[in-house]
Amino acid sequence: MTFKKFRRFTVQNIRRNRKNFIFSGFGIIAGVSSFIFFVALGNGIKRVVAREIFPLEANRIQVVPRLAGFDIPAGSREITAEALGRFSTIPGVAAVYPRMKLAVPATMALEGQRFPDEDLARIARLPGISPEMVESVRKLDLWMEIMADGIDPRLTKSDILFGPFQKPAAGEPIPILISRQLIEIYNASFAKARLLPPVSDILVPYVPAVTLTLNDSYVVRDLAGLKEHVRVKLVGLSHHALLGGVTMPLDVVREINRRFAGPKAAEIYDSALLEVVASDKLSSVQMAIKDLGFKIDESQKRMAESVGLAVTLVTLGFTLISLVMVGVAAVNIGHIFFMIIYERQREIGLLRALGASKRDIRSMIHGEAALVGTAGGAVGVAVGTAACILVNWIAVKLLPQFPFKPHQFFAFPVWIFAGGIALAVAFCLVGAFAPANRAARLDPASVLSGRG
Amino acid sequence: MIHLSNIVRLYGQGENATYALGGVSLDLPPGAFVKITGASGSGKTTLLNIIGGLDTEYSGKAIVAGKDLKILNDRELSGFRQETVGFVFQHFHLLDHLDALQNVALPSFFAKDDRPSPLLRAEEVLTRVGLKKKMRSFPGELSGGQKQRVAIARALFNRPRLILADEPTGNLDTQTSSQIISLFESLNREDGLTVIVVTHEDHLFQKASRSVRLKDGRVAEEAPQ
Repeated sequence: MTFKKFRRFTVQNIRRNRKNFIFSGFGIIAGVSSFIFFVALGNGIKRVVAREIFPLEANRIQVVPRLAGFDIPAGSREITAEALGRFSTIPGVAAVYPRMKLAVPATMALEGQRFPDEDLARIARLPGISPEMVESVRKLDLWMEIMADGIDPRLTKSDILFGPFQKPAAGEPIPILISRQLIEIYNASFAKARLLPPVSDILVPYVPAVTLTLNDSYVVRDLAGLKEHVRVKLVGLSHHALLGGVTMPLDVVREINRRFAGPKAAEIYDSALLEVVASDKLSSVQMAIKDLGFKIDESQKRMAESVGLAVTLVTLGFTLISLVMVGVAAVNIGHIFFMIIYERQREIGLLRALGASKRDIRSMIHGEAALVGTAGGAVGVAVGTAACILVNWIAVKLLPQFPFKPHQFFAFPVWIFAGGIALAVAFCLVGAFAPANRAARLDPASVLSGRG
Repeated sequence: MIHLSNIVRLYGQGENATYALGGVSLDLPPGAFVKITGASGSGKTTLLNIIGGLDTEYSGKAIVAGKDLKILNDRELSGFRQETVGFVFQHFHLLDHLDALQNVALPSFFAKDDRPSPLLRAEEVLTRVGLKKKMRSFPGELSGGQKQRVAIARALFNRPRLILADEPTGNLDTQTSSQIISLFESLNREDGLTVIVVTHEDHLFQKASRSVRLKDGRVAEEAPQ
């Protein structure tokens, strides 16, 4: 039988038994749609984890000093300019971005009444900002100790910034970055309870400059030396910013550290981010780093992996339920095929008499199963996708704001649609396997004479 | 055309075994019109199924159109049925969801080659059996005689050399039966087809060139007519 004839013949048979197949198709549609739903949801959550909560950058390694140990010679665990030079000579390393913490404590006073009226007026004009929120900002009286660090400005090249992130000219405020994760927590928990305006990229340019007091602490009393007031201005949100503090350009931190903690504090870095040319070089670079006496900080990666694993396991659980549903539907399809074959046994005998081989009969049943699977799978994919869109719309609209609440709860990898249909086809073929063999083994002489 | 040597067909096993055919030997030349008669259960249909390659569970030798059916595999046997044999059944076995034209063209689905116009061929054979006007009728809209004509047209579709008809008039009234008998006679006479007809009614098919009577699975009588 040629493919063209086979297709025509199969479609003809499906049409004839459409009532039976529509019934069994419901199981396939339910299974495939739930498969699409749960896999897309799992992927969506994993995407949020990987991009927003624990952003991981491929081909980048975080190097930290190794803790003191008996086998580590003194001095080798500090990241100095010399160590940075060594890192950059490791084959496969494309760039080295050092990071330095502020060596002096600092405090910040957010006193709303000190914000210029014109700044508050500009904020009030922004969409989504209510007069009550502006009033809350005006009444704000928040004192906090701030942690700060400095990063290489080159690291921010992919961030959207609303001002230069570099050592400022004299008299200009120091540009700072805030962590996107911190903003998520602020927006979802802190701001809402205090009727403060949410912070987003579009609001960044309107946030007024504030004063940071260096060499000041609410925790440690009687600090030696003079306090110094500097003005800082938020220029953007970045994944590279310190999670619980503010991040400045590296040169600024280096200078502050030199002034307050001495020249050595301006020469020792807390970590360095290494950019590797390609992922196949990662392991060799990691080995070289360890050989140099340094440690790879994989805490972020491990956290992401743990959460990712948890999401994967939950997704897998639900996917298994979907597979069971499709499996039950396949068993049902198998029963329906057995029934159809029983009803059509004389017809099968006739086809054998007209020249159909056992293989033709088997192919015919498999073809019908594949067609039912394709149709059921396609409808299942459509229903599943529609359910995702609907649930996403409801979730975005009705769920209360929470940290890292995504605008898109579902992610559809390219394979998911073909995978859904392939799953349905595969299960239908499995379901039809035994009936197809039975049909092929029917004795044409017996069934045509009514003895079968 | 057909050489059968000591064909034995047994149904069941052990003590329950019954002989459908108990050593049938026959030689039928090409172009013969053979009538096989016998009482119900005498083995007529079994013999027809063996000649047509539908039943291979026998012992003995069956050579049809130069092919030893016992040694053919399923694919070869299917090819043999497709190219050499046309079956006609008592109950017509037409597919209700197909019209007469589509029923006749049914064998084209399993042909190895992609014939350019199976429906044209179906129309041709339907014209041959006198049913051109009923080409688009479904089996439910046809009389018994017309259904059997469609079944005969379907048997002729692949241009077989051998027509095997099992009780082709068993479901028809006398007048319709004689029309169908005439059709078989014409296929034998004008188209040169070898026709083997199984019937339990001795008086039918008087013009058959050969008559074989089976009794209890054996040839009781064989004679030219």
